[in-house]
Amino acid sequence: MLLSDVSARANTSGEKESQSRNLLDRAVERLTRHVASRSSRRSLLGRAGAWATFGALVPTLPVMRASAATPSKPAPKFKAPTPFAAEAQTKDPTACNYWRYCAIDGYLCASCGGGVHSCPPGTSPSPTSWIGTCFNPGDGQSYLVAYRDCCGQDACSQPMCLGTEGDQPSYRPQANNDIIWCFGTGALIYNCSTSVIVGNAS
Amino acid sequence: MRYSTAFRSGKAALMLGVLALGASSVASVKAWADEPVVQEEESDIIKLSPVTPHRILVQDTAGTHAKDGRIYVVDADQGKLLGMVQAAYNANVVQDPKGRAFYVAETVWSRGNRGDRLDLLPAYDPQTLTITNDEVLPGRALVTPKKNDLAINQDGSRVYIFSMVPTNAVHVIDTATHKVSQTVDLPGCALAYPWGNDGFTSICADGGLANVSLKSGKADVTHTKPFFDPEKDAVFEHSPTRRSDGKTWFISYSGLVYPTALSADSKIEPAWSIQEAAGMKKAPAAEAPFAKTWRPGGWQLSALHYASGHLFVLMHEGTFWTHKKPGTEIWELDTASHKLIRRIKLPVPASMVGVTQDDKPLLFTNDNAGDLFIWDMKTGKQIHKMPHLGDDLYFTVALGE
Repeated sequence: MLLSDVSARANTSGEKESQSRNLLDRAVERLTRHVASRSSRRSLLGRAGAWATFGALVPTLPVMRASAATPSKPAPKFKAPTPFAAEAQTKDPTACNYWRYCAIDGYLCASCGGGVHSCPPGTSPSPTSWIGTCFNPGDGQSYLVAYRDCCGQDACSQPMCLGTEGDQPSYRPQANNDIIWCFGTGALIYNCSTSVIVGNAS
Repeated sequence: MRYSTAFRSGKAALMLGVLALGASSVASVKAWADEPVVQEEESDIIKLSPVTPHRILVQDTAGTHAKDGRIYVVDADQGKLLGMVQAAYNANVVQDPKGRAFYVAETVWSRGNRGDRLDLLPAYDPQTLTITNDEVLPGRALVTPKKNDLAINQDGSRVYIFSMVPTNAVHVIDTATHKVSQTVDLPGCALAYPWGNDGFTSICADGGLANVSLKSGKADVTHTKPFFDPEKDAVFEHSPTRRSDGKTWFISYSGLVYPTALSADSKIEPAWSIQEAAGMKKAPAAEAPFAKTWRPGGWQLSALHYASGHLFVLMHEGTFWTHKKPGTEIWELDTASHKLIRRIKLPVPASMVGVTQDDKPLLFTNDNAGDLFIWDMKTGKQIHKMPHLGDDLYFTVALGE
């Protein structure tokens, strides 16, 4: 139906409207008189009081509410800038989709006896590294992440992770995850990778 | 009656028995005749024939225990392992263009995972797989192996070794004297793409090239202007070079191919798109990170058959920054017409593709279980699968490559 049709009909039915208003007034009047004749002022106050007192408790009843349900995948609070960030999580640093691992290449120190920024015992962190930029879906900020290798033992060999966002070839060493970043440690033998926050990039 | 029947049956059984015995005796005698008389033996060692176009080297990085890397020698016609040599810690390998030797660049420490570091370039006899010279290097880059960290010139007289110890440089090794003839400092540049006998080119961080000519006896270095943006659409290190004339096809993350004539004055031609060659839209780069389309990816993701000019690229469907994702197909492209010739579907995704350089070429792919697949290049059909040849097969090296 077009809008012009609707307004045309409204203009031609003014008389009918006033008749229907009278009908409505009469019906309401009849209803109020009926209620008034069959109820006391006290019962009205009592019921209203009961609703005021116990009605407030209704929201506390143990009912299933949509707002309290845990959604299987929470809607992202912030718009992810990259495909990795769109799937990233902030809880489990032993999974490849942990937000800081957007450009990690290798074995996670968090799965090798170390932690997100800690080397496993028996290894030592490299003073050099390359720097990636990862988006934290928890706070909507991007951070500079130093991918420092832990060195001195051969590969930790837990399931490996390969993040490649922003990863450039080795002629751009500052952005390459293939180089053994163990310069400055005793032996340049790679054990696992950490991801250390070194600044805010937002 | 009963007795005679039984007798007859017994006689028949006896005759059958005799016949059977006779037959087995004949068989035994025949078997003895076939089998040589077992005698005392001496231990010996197999010596291989000279290298043929279909005898390839396969690099296994053994990433989960990288100190134990190795190079396998494979007869690709039979899908058979002929031998192996060790190649420690992110090792690399090149073969003399005529197959007279192969060279492994490797790194060891005097006490296993500690002690003094030794960077080595053993030269191997390709028929006995024994070391003919075990040269100590001044250093080499420790990086997940890429073919162009190590290169050899056209006549096999020079080997180029990319080093990051302590700064970016390429060591030039004289293969006759087994000595470093010179070290070329290349600040801000990396890798070595050989052209002819007297030069190589490195890729630089600004998206340009550094050309190193060794013709005068010393290193003359020139630079090209940047021709790509490494932050938005870098070119793969694993781009193929035809060493004889230095023609190189630099492939970018998004799928652009920059035909380049490497020399002391390298010339870069306008780029063409792999996707457009296949009748698709050109793929966007880092400016559209969510755009999903067919893209090149993997590790040794490309190979070139020199004589035909056919380029083989591993392709997968994905977003930008999926440049290391294994390919689900090989796309065969004609570098002359910039057209797609064929798409070969792979049974399992592969991170490497290799090719032999003869007129009955074979293709090679891998999978993440360490299997080696051998294909007939002309038919696009798989002819062999070598189950679990190694742990992490990174690339192949064929004669003349």
